[in-house]
Amino acid sequence: MAVVAPPRRGRLRGLIGPDPIGYAFIAPYAIFLVALFGYPLGLAIYISFFDYFFAAPGAQVARPFVGLSNYAEILGDPTFQRAILSVAEFILINVPLTVVLSLVLASTLNAKLPFRTFFRTSYYIPYVTAGVAVIGVWLWLLSRGGLLNGVLGPLAPDPSWLVSEFWAMPVIALVVTWKGLGFYVLLYLAALQNIPRELYEAAEVDGAGVIRRFMAITVPGVRPATTLVVILATIIGANLFTEPYLLTGGGGPNGASLSPVLLMYREGIEQGHAGYAAAIGVILAIAVMTISAINRFVLEKD
Amino acid sequence: MSRASVRFASIATILMLVLTACLGEDGQDGGGSAGDGAASATGPISIWYSNNPEEVAWGEAVVTAWNADHPDEEVTGEEIPAGESSEEVIGASITAGNTPCLIFNTAPAAVPQFQVAGGLVALDDFPDGASYIQERTGDRAEQYKFTDGKFYQMPWKTNPVMIFYNKTVFETAGLDPENPPLSTYDEFLSTAETLVAEGGVEAAIWPSPDAQFFQPWFDFYPLFIAQSGGQQLVEDGEPQFNNEAGLAAANFWRSLYDQGLSPNEAYNGDSFGDQKAAMAIVGPWAIKVYGDKVEWGAVPVPTQDGMDASEVHTFSDEKSSAMYTSCENRGTAWEFLKFATSEENDGQLLELTGQMPMRADVVASFPDYFEANPDYEVFADQASRTVEVPIVPNSIEMWQTFRTAYSESVIFGTTPVEEAFNTAADEIRTLVGGS
Amino acid sequence: MATTSATETAAQVARSEPAGRLSWGRVLGLAVLVLGAFMFLFPFYYMVVGALQREPNPGISGAFPNPANLTLANFGDINAQVDLLRTLINSGIFTGGVLLATFVIGLPAGYALAQLHFRGRSVVFNAMLLILVLPFQLFMIPLYVVIVRTYGLADNYLGMILPFAVNATAVFIFRQFFLQLPRELFESARIDGASEFMILRRIAIPLARPAIITAGVVTFIGPWNEFLWPFLITKQQDLQPLAVALANYISNVAARAANPFGSILAGAVVLAIPAVVVFVVFQRQFVESNLGSGVKG
Repeated sequence: MAVVAPPRRGRLRGLIGPDPIGYAFIAPYAIFLVALFGYPLGLAIYISFFDYFFAAPGAQVARPFVGLSNYAEILGDPTFQRAILSVAEFILINVPLTVVLSLVLASTLNAKLPFRTFFRTSYYIPYVTAGVAVIGVWLWLLSRGGLLNGVLGPLAPDPSWLVSEFWAMPVIALVVTWKGLGFYVLLYLAALQNIPRELYEAAEVDGAGVIRRFMAITVPGVRPATTLVVILATIIGANLFTEPYLLTGGGGPNGASLSPVLLMYREGIEQGHAGYAAAIGVILAIAVMTISAINRFVLEKD
Repeated sequence: MSRASVRFASIATILMLVLTACLGEDGQDGGGSAGDGAASATGPISIWYSNNPEEVAWGEAVVTAWNADHPDEEVTGEEIPAGESSEEVIGASITAGNTPCLIFNTAPAAVPQFQVAGGLVALDDFPDGASYIQERTGDRAEQYKFTDGKFYQMPWKTNPVMIFYNKTVFETAGLDPENPPLSTYDEFLSTAETLVAEGGVEAAIWPSPDAQFFQPWFDFYPLFIAQSGGQQLVEDGEPQFNNEAGLAAANFWRSLYDQGLSPNEAYNGDSFGDQKAAMAIVGPWAIKVYGDKVEWGAVPVPTQDGMDASEVHTFSDEKSSAMYTSCENRGTAWEFLKFATSEENDGQLLELTGQMPMRADVVASFPDYFEANPDYEVFADQASRTVEVPIVPNSIEMWQTFRTAYSESVIFGTTPVEEAFNTAADEIRTLVGGS
Repeated sequence: MATTSATETAAQVARSEPAGRLSWGRVLGLAVLVLGAFMFLFPFYYMVVGALQREPNPGISGAFPNPANLTLANFGDINAQVDLLRTLINSGIFTGGVLLATFVIGLPAGYALAQLHFRGRSVVFNAMLLILVLPFQLFMIPLYVVIVRTYGLADNYLGMILPFAVNATAVFIFRQFFLQLPRELFESARIDGASEFMILRRIAIPLARPAIITAGVVTFIGPWNEFLWPFLITKQQDLQPLAVALANYISNVAARAANPFGSILAGAVVLAIPAVVVFVVFQRQFVESNLGSGVKG
């Protein structure tokens, strides 16, 4: 049956599109976005150009315009540079590990093995659990006298994990990877459904082993999913806050696990330099968007 | 993103920025900060105090007593979390304009920030404001004035920081539990070695090695104050912590960390209460926490060559009460503040919490209490020799800068102490002098 | 491009590697899964064990609960300071409010973004993506000022709910799902004279049930575990959700309890359980293909 397009009513329709009812549907959400995010975002960008701090209502305070000097100061600040490096270290560990582990787990889950439901559930459980709740356990597991060191015995590093300048960030990366895997396994499982079974059957007939099948069929087959996973994991990594805040109270040994967002929180909320903190946020957002664009470009070129 | 939507988005963004610039944040509101007339206005008020259970008990008692006599000026009390997050809560609240009239948990280090944000009322505005404070607190009141000479806080209670030690552990280690050798740096260090070797503890003393801005108040600052005979971190805009006394105190801590007598890893919980550390550096509020868990004793913090206990100064760990500009019924607030800090209610504070009211002579004012609780007398005596944080602009950033330098040089030993302290001193001089 | 239905979806899930014989591949696969499951579940097991201990035992032996050391006292200890029931209810109200707003506002929005064409559609979509990218801390203080000063919603459930009200990820999921549905399905309904609202209510939403559940579980996690925002917004103890109360308890009050670590873990167990239960109950419907449809392009 041929589809009949709705009659166009001249110029107006051309301007606003064929389904203006869409405005009604989208309006509450659009209002929500503007009122609750648009205005604060605008305010945040605005104050990043000032020596700004929040004051009591009606208080007369001087907030001089400083142009780009907040930005210049941040980029030259060694603490900020350190934070960027820490987050880069985090991403370099977390993203590849996440991609590999979640794809391996997803394809294993995809096979018809017993107790699949149980396994699937167990992978999602860390994902649905509160950061606050899990931190306590990890703090205990990773402490000097904790279980991990007990198991490792003489191999346990000294200084211990969370206080070691070397290990603090990698440990956080591992904990965050552990926590987030469930979500990415989900993404990959979905993508795996789109790979035709015939490909695997044909390969098996040709004598290809499990690993060969994985590398030749699965990995290329889920390329779009991999792009998504990389981008999402990078964004989440760049915005890392909860784990450094809770696990290494205040930025770790010598600032080894200070993340830019934690720095933003410290400057903006603890020390009241709202303009400076907002500038950090803007720089971070631009960096993240740039990296996402690069990731997308690199991963999707054929 | 299509070109059209990029265009649309950019226009929208510019519009948003312009709109924000015009509206600003100042143009948003009509009132909030009451005018001069409020100084005498009376009526219901609300107050906040910390969520420490004993303080809550005190707060509720005082509020009930007041409300019984002043039905038209009812006071409502609420708890806010104590600890590092209280400054954030208060700061956010000032911005929002919904601070209560009085907050009994205002940290002196945060007062400059709150004042600059226009959140605090100068108590000098009240005719008997300055005089009441000076009469109640005596000489120490001077330390609580802001750079403009006014009182934006009323010093309320202090927890003079001393060295708590575990008598049982000392005995096990073969040390005298009644006269522990802890008054000079050398003595302290060798005692610490003995404790770790023979006392069955993981650490001699375990101050938190974390990087937050307030941590120096419980390791470096008390020892610096003692060693320098009562100096503040900066005085008259000039950093003092990198002088001889400061370096001596810092190097003392460096030895403790270096020899593993203090761990550079944070303990999750209370190391002294859990008997992982033989000593703790803390004030009398901790007595209620330790309860019957530990048999404790307390001595003043050590100095390089030892001083008579009656001469050692220490950090006050003080909390003030402040009046906030969102208050409309300031007359009532001031009267309530005086009521809450009257001799009777100060005495109740002492009884319920064991913390020292900032009164000129605590021991003489409450002889019955100290007869019944001789344990606390040493703290009351120490309370007359406390030093406060400097009430200067950018004070929180100042402490954060210091802590970062201290952490990298003393706790982790990656930079030489003198170098780190001198660099920090230069930064801090700019911060407090006027940027 | 057949219509997606529950049966079709189930068939898609079933499409997987050939089952059957016990091959080296299968054994390897099982081993990987078991190891993975152990690593994921062990911390939770340890959490429960720790919550039940009378005396904290951080060593290896502590992993194997000693019956003599078991007690429920830690739960009592934390309940004395933090009213577990009350805070759980608050968490429920907070999360429930967010779920409600997400469905009521997000479903039509997702549908409009996918199936309706109007100018400005991609602007809204890109704005939504932008929200996903930016950290919440960037907005936090300006948002606080807006909500408390301009809207006057401090110490109020609504103030807590608003910034989280419509979860962007959920809207994304709805949009991806509705994109999958063929336009013809709706065209024929329109030709039959149905209004857009009716189409939404009678056709789109019932079809979207798997996406709704997926989005629901994803949306649930955010507010349930959020501890920073409600902390700023509410001072009153009886409004605070459990995540906030637990975070405060850890930093301030825990030292008073008989077994501070145990009582922290007890609170953590109470916080974690409802989220896990919700997930386990709904996980059968939490079908992978919904989220995955966005992965295709």
